[in-house]
Amino acid sequence: MAQLFAPRANVVVRSVLVAAGALAVCASFAVWAFARSPAATGQYRRPEQPIPFSHPLHVNALQIDCRYCHTGAERSTMAGMPPTKACVPCHRDDLLQTSLFAPLRQSLSSGRGIAWRRVTSLPDFVFFDHAVHVRTGVACESCHGPVQLMHELYQAAPLTMESCLGCHRAAAAGYDRGRLTSCTTCHR
Amino acid sequence: MSVRQEEMARRLGVDRECPEGADTVSRRGFVKLLGASIALAGLDGCTRMPASNILPYADQPELTPGIPQYYATSMVLDGFATGLLVESHEGRPTKVEGNPDHPASLGAAGVYEQASVLQLYDPHRAGRVRHRLGTSSWKELAAVLAPSTLRARVGAGGAGLFLLLEPTSSPLDSELLDRLIGMYPAAGVHFYSPFARLNDSLLPQYDVSEADVIVAVDADFLATGPFHLRYARDFAARRRPEASRGMNRLYAIEPSVTVTGTAADHRIAVRPGEIVPALEVLLAAIRGTPGQRSGPGPDWVAPIARDLRAHGDRSLIVAGPYLPERARALAHQINLALGNIGRTIWFSRSPLLGAGDERHSLARLVDALRAGHVDTLICVGGNPSYATPGALGVASLIRRVPQTVYLGLYENETARDCQWMVPAAHFLESWSDARAYDGTLSIVQPLIEPLAGGKTSAELLSLLLGMPDAHPYDLLRQAWRGRGNFGDGSDFEDGWRKILGRGVVEGSSFPREQAGSAALTPDAQRQRSLPIEILFRPDARVRDGAFANNGWLQELPDPVTTLTWGNAAHLSPATAQRFGAVTGDLLDIQSAGLTVRIPALVMPGHADDTVTVHFGYGRDGSEALARGVGVDVYPLWPDGAFTAGASVTRMPSASHRTLAITQPHHTLDASKPARAMTLDEYSRLGPRKPSRSLTLYEPQASLPDGPARQQWAMTIDLGACIGCGACMVACQAENNVPVVGHDDVVRGREMHWLRIDWYAARSGEPATIAQPMLCQQCEKAPCEYVCPVEATVHSSDGLNEMVYNRCVGTRFCSNNCPYKVRRFNWFDYSAGLSPIEGLVKNPDVTVRERGVMEKCTFCVQRIRQAEIAARLDGRRPVREGEIQTACQQTCPTRAIVFGSLTEKDGQVARDRRNPRAYAALEDLGTEPRVLYLARVRNSASEGDRRK
Repeated sequence: MAQLFAPRANVVVRSVLVAAGALAVCASFAVWAFARSPAATGQYRRPEQPIPFSHPLHVNALQIDCRYCHTGAERSTMAGMPPTKACVPCHRDDLLQTSLFAPLRQSLSSGRGIAWRRVTSLPDFVFFDHAVHVRTGVACESCHGPVQLMHELYQAAPLTMESCLGCHRAAAAGYDRGRLTSCTTCHR
Repeated sequence: MSVRQEEMARRLGVDRECPEGADTVSRRGFVKLLGASIALAGLDGCTRMPASNILPYADQPELTPGIPQYYATSMVLDGFATGLLVESHEGRPTKVEGNPDHPASLGAAGVYEQASVLQLYDPHRAGRVRHRLGTSSWKELAAVLAPSTLRARVGAGGAGLFLLLEPTSSPLDSELLDRLIGMYPAAGVHFYSPFARLNDSLLPQYDVSEADVIVAVDADFLATGPFHLRYARDFAARRRPEASRGMNRLYAIEPSVTVTGTAADHRIAVRPGEIVPALEVLLAAIRGTPGQRSGPGPDWVAPIARDLRAHGDRSLIVAGPYLPERARALAHQINLALGNIGRTIWFSRSPLLGAGDERHSLARLVDALRAGHVDTLICVGGNPSYATPGALGVASLIRRVPQTVYLGLYENETARDCQWMVPAAHFLESWSDARAYDGTLSIVQPLIEPLAGGKTSAELLSLLLGMPDAHPYDLLRQAWRGRGNFGDGSDFEDGWRKILGRGVVEGSSFPREQAGSAALTPDAQRQRSLPIEILFRPDARVRDGAFANNGWLQELPDPVTTLTWGNAAHLSPATAQRFGAVTGDLLDIQSAGLTVRIPALVMPGHADDTVTVHFGYGRDGSEALARGVGVDVYPLWPDGAFTAGASVTRMPSASHRTLAITQPHHTLDASKPARAMTLDEYSRLGPRKPSRSLTLYEPQASLPDGPARQQWAMTIDLGACIGCGACMVACQAENNVPVVGHDDVVRGREMHWLRIDWYAARSGEPATIAQPMLCQQCEKAPCEYVCPVEATVHSSDGLNEMVYNRCVGTRFCSNNCPYKVRRFNWFDYSAGLSPIEGLVKNPDVTVRERGVMEKCTFCVQRIRQAEIAARLDGRRPVREGEIQTACQQTCPTRAIVFGSLTEKDGQVARDRRNPRAYAALEDLGTEPRVLYLARVRNSASEGDRRK
């Protein structure tokens, strides 16, 4: 009986095997890389806000401290968003009457909050406490980026577990790194 | 299954871990599902946070989002207040704790208090004012009941107006009722609830901590009744043999098995009819005139009499509230003879309105209803159409009244019989006041606006007074201002604010009263000898039925029987054998001329020829969860007594019902998982040797990071634990533990992180030990080795962590856990909750989804929060006592202690050195961080010998 496969079939088989192996490696790498890319993590995502609030104007030009509006940052798990009424005393009345501030006027009349789009979002199984980070010397910019330069707020950090653990693993002497890298530090 | 746990299960008549509920899946179907799971698993792995909004307040109230607030309030049961502290997250109450300043709580909370927050968010609560079948409004009701309109109906004196209220001790309600009587002098005001102590104008008050010998006569004073949390605390304080004042001794004389009975050193099962003669003999023996009336009596009386006389005025007879009048009078005489009155027991005025006044009873109302004198009946709370003796036929009488109004939480049986239905405000939505069992004034303040527009009883009463728009807060403040409760002349606002903060007015308990002579009435009923006696009792979980729609309580295993989702007729093994019945067999019980078909539950330790049934089941109102669960036994209940004659017939063999009993689930594979000893054995115990397992390796050098400063551990004193189950509900509330339902409980899928295992203390004896079982936080945890994805790992402070978001649900860990404390989410139990139901969830704990393993974490969220708080305060280590786990905080007996091993003088470290300490399944070498302290029995013979 004649040979079914010509000698070059060996070459074909080998190259297919090599190609398949390479594909598997590349595909794994691609998944690994994609999971860390802004496309997957939402880094640099810039959701459109109901009012085009400008952080540079408030932080640089008016020299308002972050904690003036985000009052919980030093005390609570949440940094907190200012209530609508907190905007009113500083703003001139004629400015508030412009179309830009329509959501604010609506909020004041209805008593319901302004629906800001969440920019920095952690999953529900992550318990982040603002107070303990801020009070132990982690600057706001470490996670939120140069907010004072963002005309439109965007997500500055990838917010992957790696980005949290990067700091927790490198905590300064005097911190219990074992405790800081325990799962239940963040997951409860 | 351990030998003794098996014995318990066999006694209860259940023997297999996975009874016939288990579904069968064909091989082909299994492979199909397997393939689909693999294909879909990849998709499931991709999570992307859904876009969401941040909604700040438009006008922020005085709170910081993220920091919970605590308010003092009170829960009222049968008219008596228990003080609570309620945690609120951004205006949403999530967790109830006891108020340490309140005499009825002392910081503890029972199962009803713990579960009350779930009732607040019950989606089946009534949500609209209804008139007949149509939606109506408060305003329309106000028009109908306005004084001018109502007078025209019921006459100027109000002779046709009748009110039926739940028992109340509220001074506010009292004042409004007085004004109402002023307006309608002839109106009838009646109070009723099945277990209220409305007949007694004087209430016995006990100081359990002073008593060396306690005799509980059909009294479950440790687990039911208005002051049970306090009594349990005082009782348990003297159950530790190390205690300086010595151990107390408890005798329980009871027909059915209660929590108090299982905690007793000596438990004597007696038929209800034998109690009065036995007490007569006991009284005669104590007075030193033996054989005065009834000869020698049963042989257990003499030792008890000896023991009581030996302890003189440091003893206490507790007579149960369901005993006949004569038995309670005898108990009083015994206390008097022993000199206990004024020492361990005294009397104070009942804070209940209309207590001891026959004119305010249900019987008088029924007479008026039968005579047709009632034109307008207003039912404030309660559920009279359901929770009344069947023989009275209250439901049909209510239906015949020309005009009926019902204020209640649910569209229940009474709502159905009434023309008007007004949704009631839950106590967490109400402004009111109430008195505790000893008379202490307590505040009821709301944590939230009424979710469904509910109204309080005060609002309904002021509507009748012609003030439909009065706000309960204003009514309360006015009443308190008028009364001048603060007395010391200080500013009302200051005093008011202080009372709102503390929830209780200090020193407002009633003074001691001279006890009446309680003359022994001649016993008319003695001669009657009943072939089978039936006992009616409140259910440990749903009570009289008021909590029947509460999933946490329905799924809470009954203490002692571990029955969930339903009730059963409890029988002794011998009696069950006589009827040829085993657990689950249907029996026909006939009493008061009616027959009810109910499954049997064989209960060792139960008195022979006696059947105990529990109220609260077989509901058919619109409470969807409660409907059809269990059997309604109110029809069997004759008027006025909690004991009656009955006849029992066994149904043909085919009639069997599967009872959701959890006793055979999650069993420990050891011969001696729980330990108990006698006082003699205890005194011979040497110091505890820590049983470190042998190893060839050097002791592990500390890691570069060093072990954490705190090493968390827990001890549970089985001597103190009475197995009441409050910890289970507290854990469920704190940790977002789901409810699975009857069918899944039958399959062994209940989700409680903390369960109470019941063991037979010795073979052949009814004595039992309750051992709370939770994750033991093993130092060498068998679960950690087998997890393929490292979803369960060890933290540096000694916790066995469970990372839900990493878990893929192989269940290897559960398989390898010798303590069987891991729970698997077979379904997405928390999916599909209505928005209102979701509000009960604790925001500090992840809500787990399908396919994820979960277990006790020592309330790690509380640990981490305390650590953060300590750091923010600038203090480094967390002090012992700063962190309380949910189970520890609510425990009435303080059996659970939590702390760090590194605090050498802390309670946990000291308890671990206690000779009674042992680890469950110690020989496995898992080095658990939970240690138990063995129960010590202070039985009489030994105690005498030691003297």
